[in-house]
Amino acid sequence: MIKVEHLNKSFDGIQILNDICVEYEPGQCNMIIGASGSGKTVLLKNLIGLFEPDSGDISYGSTKLSQMNYYQKKALRQKIGVLFQGSALFDFATVLENVMFPMDFFTDMSQAQKKERAQYLLEKVNVVDSDDKYPNELSGGMQKRVGIARAIALNPEYLFCDEPNSGLDPYTSILIDQLIGDLTKEFNMTTVINTHDMNSIFEMGDKIGFIYKGTMLWQGSKDSIMHTDCQELRDFICSNALARNILERE
Amino acid sequence: MLKKSIEAVGRYFLFLKMVFRKPEKWKIFWKQFVQETDKLILSSIIIVGVISIFIGGVLVIQTASNLENPIIDKMYIGYMVRESLILEFCSTMVALILAGKMGSNIASEIGSMRITEQIDAMDMMGINSAGFLVLPKIVSVTVLSPLLMLMSFALGLLGGWIVVDITQIIPTASYITGIKSFYNGFYVFYGGFKMSLFCFMIASIAAFNGYYAKGGSQGVGHSSTKSIVITSILILLSDLIVTQLMLY
Repeated sequence: MIKVEHLNKSFDGIQILNDICVEYEPGQCNMIIGASGSGKTVLLKNLIGLFEPDSGDISYGSTKLSQMNYYQKKALRQKIGVLFQGSALFDFATVLENVMFPMDFFTDMSQAQKKERAQYLLEKVNVVDSDDKYPNELSGGMQKRVGIARAIALNPEYLFCDEPNSGLDPYTSILIDQLIGDLTKEFNMTTVINTHDMNSIFEMGDKIGFIYKGTMLWQGSKDSIMHTDCQELRDFICSNALARNILERE
Repeated sequence: MLKKSIEAVGRYFLFLKMVFRKPEKWKIFWKQFVQETDKLILSSIIIVGVISIFIGGVLVIQTASNLENPIIDKMYIGYMVRESLILEFCSTMVALILAGKMGSNIASEIGSMRITEQIDAMDMMGINSAGFLVLPKIVSVTVLSPLLMLMSFALGLLGGWIVVDITQIIPTASYITGIKSFYNGFYVFYGGFKMSLFCFMIASIAAFNGYYAKGGSQGVGHSSTKSIVITSILILLSDLIVTQLMLY
């Protein structure tokens, strides 16, 4: 479980995150939603330790991130998988080498075992016959899939996805959503997804937190989001034509 | 401005502290070391070689045109070309050329990885990204660059010999006698030491600028240019200091 308590973060005197409190449970797809510039990515980067909070605490299990030393953080990071917005695949490595990369560092598996596991993961995310291709030879959707395969290579307890659907067509977006949802359930991961894609929210939002101008204004599930009284969230939902029609009918 | 510069120096040393942490796996480090040697040292052989041959030839002509006095033995032309090459050209001038070639290569490669979040991805895996990406580059260029200097020295002398042989500006025998006269082995050590130091600065400063690049492709270009300018100035400054300390 991940617990965030009274998290604040500012840059150059501008408050980006304001008193964020939230908990994320294992086996669930936890969504952080909000408009562009609302602070979603900053919250995600605080959660994974790429940014240091100004105040407040983030706990993984019973251990606070702020109290961990370099080696404890390093050990924790081996339990975390991250899918970055631009996939962040390594240019210098092939698809297979990208997926094997964390295994090279943190396992004592033989080359054959690593290759076998990488191929199993690539099959799992439906990337076949591309082992020897370089990232720039893949489509955006394929890159995301390889990014997911790499993120789960070490069987992580936590999976973070920063806008997994950005730049993808609706059909591929649904496939990526389903893949993340299935993997979360199968491996009982605590998954945190940063998105403003309404389809993803309705598809996967076991738990949803809505951020507005750096403040977590609303928390609930995909079942309760359509019945919210929060005007800012209703405005956000209404930016999607389908959701607006449902809301208006209700 | 001053505060920013002091902060940058502080961050540079903190960066070096990260770089010089023990590698996660030595096997991966050596693999990277070989790749970086190929990319940074072996790929520089042609440019260093071509420039060295031409500079050797030019040095012969310039020195000969300044030593037309009949009472000065012509072998001193060969001697002066050799000393110019080993003392200054093969280390400082070659390092300035490499500051452009290696420096821009390192800064743009690491800068691109920074802005496409590849470095963040490594950090998130628990890998020391600075150590993985930068340490093999620094070790490779620092340890192996004296070999480039020796190659440049040999090719510079060869360039001089070719010009002498073709133009007969001085007798070939005098040139050969000159380059063999009054040999001081310490100068080779001095040139090699300078080259190592300069290449350490080139790799570490370029990597530092790339590692903290910001703002898209423009930021990568800026980090590359910045590293070349800073490194060139520091090479000239440290050349002065090292020369004073080692030769005087």
